Amino acid sequence: MLNYAASRIVQTIIVLLVISFIAFLLVANIGDPLAALLSADATVNERLELIAKLGLDQPLWTRFLHFIGNMLQGDFGFSYRTQDPVANLIAERLPATVELAFVSLLITIVVGVPAGIYCGVNPNSLFGRFIMLISTAGITLPNFVVGILLIAVFSVQLGLLPSFGRGTVVDLGFWKTGLLTVSGWRAILLPAATLSTFQVAFIIRMLRTQLMEVGQSEHIRFARARGLSEARIWYVYAIKNTLLPVITMLGLQLGNIIAFSVVTENVFAWPGLGSLFLQSIQGADIPVIAIYLIFVGLVFMVINLIVELLYPLIDARVLRRQS
Amino acid sequence: MINATAPLLDVRDLTVTINREGRLVTALDKVSFFVNPGEVLGIVGESGAGKSITGAAIIDLLVPPLKRTGGTITLAGERLDQLSPKAMRGVRGGRIGFVFQDPMTSLNPVITIGQQLCDTIQAHLKLGGNQTKKRAHDWLDRVGLPNPDVQFKRYPHQLSGGMRQRVVIALALCADPVLVIADEPTTALDVSVQAHILELLRDLHRESNVSMMLITHDLGVIAKMADRVAVLYAGRVAEIGPVGELFNAPRHPYTRGLIRATPMPSATGEMRLDQIPGAMPGLGAVPPGCAFNPRCFRAEGDCRATIPPLYRQESSAFSCFHPLERVPA
Repeated sequence: MLNYAASRIVQTIIVLLVISFIAFLLVANIGDPLAALLSADATVNERLELIAKLGLDQPLWTRFLHFIGNMLQGDFGFSYRTQDPVANLIAERLPATVELAFVSLLITIVVGVPAGIYCGVNPNSLFGRFIMLISTAGITLPNFVVGILLIAVFSVQLGLLPSFGRGTVVDLGFWKTGLLTVSGWRAILLPAATLSTFQVAFIIRMLRTQLMEVGQSEHIRFARARGLSEARIWYVYAIKNTLLPVITMLGLQLGNIIAFSVVTENVFAWPGLGSLFLQSIQGADIPVIAIYLIFVGLVFMVINLIVELLYPLIDARVLRRQS
Repeated sequence: MINATAPLLDVRDLTVTINREGRLVTALDKVSFFVNPGEVLGIVGESGAGKSITGAAIIDLLVPPLKRTGGTITLAGERLDQLSPKAMRGVRGGRIGFVFQDPMTSLNPVITIGQQLCDTIQAHLKLGGNQTKKRAHDWLDRVGLPNPDVQFKRYPHQLSGGMRQRVVIALALCADPVLVIADEPTTALDVSVQAHILELLRDLHRESNVSMMLITHDLGVIAKMADRVAVLYAGRVAEIGPVGELFNAPRHPYTRGLIRATPMPSATGEMRLDQIPGAMPGLGAVPPGCAFNPRCFRAEGDCRATIPPLYRQESSAFSCFHPLERVPA
């Protein structure tokens, strides 16, 4: 187990270094930081001073190490667009996106997992088929359509929920949360539901397929031949065999939402990372894009790492495959 | 009845059909046999003869589209074919244990062996947590696993094939069933391990006096283990009789063909093999009359016209119009 954990962590660090290098090349080769940072009437001396300060006269590898060193100390560089530290920009937007991602994950688990289990256990029932029909819509409808539909129904027609913003946020000092106020919860419901539509549909279909397959296996037949109750057979013996792909998918989806919920955030004017990313691309704000790239890599790698560290707790066979 | 003891399991006219795109095909055609208390009944036949279907039909565990469509199954006076699904669950594992063929696939890979045993025990016996655990440990010990305390916490993949089959046997027997159906219990194992597993089954049978239905295609296994044998051919019973009688003086030509097709060295050390010409008809391709008639050297007109009934003679029965003479073959 320790070996397994250590090897996963080392792999994660290596991948993060590679991503950082690519991001660094982006910063080093695209755009002109001097033009962005210096005023138009700067003297040659000022110019040379800034070159020395930014280390632009150093060889590539030195600069990369410097770049990594700075990041480890929390210095992520400056935005070309706003001249603000990139760290501040991301820290400002991060809570909104993370809260949105976790609420939508919660919806996915609460709605998708039971529905998926129901469809897997009763694949031919009327209700099961109905769920599958609905889930087809969830898979095929793009996010912005779902978002606009939800706004049209719940905000415009029924007037129940707000159509934009985060509602009232509470500042905890290090984190601005919307989850401590009623208006915050009301505001997060529609965007979170929009984001979870696809995931709910996906989890339902995946659980159903997995359960139907496991249900055919010899060990389930043997469990029946030993007279175990249907509830125990499905909810313990069969489910445990389907968890690996399910938590893998949930992990990837969580990463996806944190990193790429651009469209949904735009529809609901959600002040999260997605809209920051969009603005940075439009403004060719290379340092922000590069750090964002590293951040996305970090999010995916950390989630993936957690998921992989969960594997052996569910299925001890992964440890054997390792050795 | 000449028999003083009533049979423990009495199967009569058991019929199983398979629905193939609207066409009903008979997989098991009025199969009748019984198992006495404490007895080992061997069920033998080629692949596809219906051996495993017979076993699965008794505990109502047929895989669709296979379906039981007729006959009666009586266990110690109780009609199993009329039980509710819930009552049937109590029979499975509780009164009839089932040993599966392949220990590589029949154990749940993500649940510990101890948990699988405890769940099975608790499904049938009203025992407290500690007693359940103790019983599970005892069974791991009884089936010959070293260090039961260690094995209890292990997962199936940490055990060898032979050890896993011991666990499967423990799982089938842990709730004290009166009958064990073992479906090819040694077929998936190495030859060296096969002998150990058979020995274990025989020891457990002697200790507990549990009745057994041993399904196999291996006449060697039958000779070692069984008291009586039922020979199945194309979903029908060809012959039933005590092992010695059936091996020495088979009445059905198919039985003799099967025995002669088994490699057995003679007194001089020579191996003689006679194969039966042709092949067993597949599902839905059974010829009219006796299913064996196209391959039988004694077949006559009546064999091709009507299905021979099961003739009972003392301790044995056979379904053949022109049986072999009862002289040592």
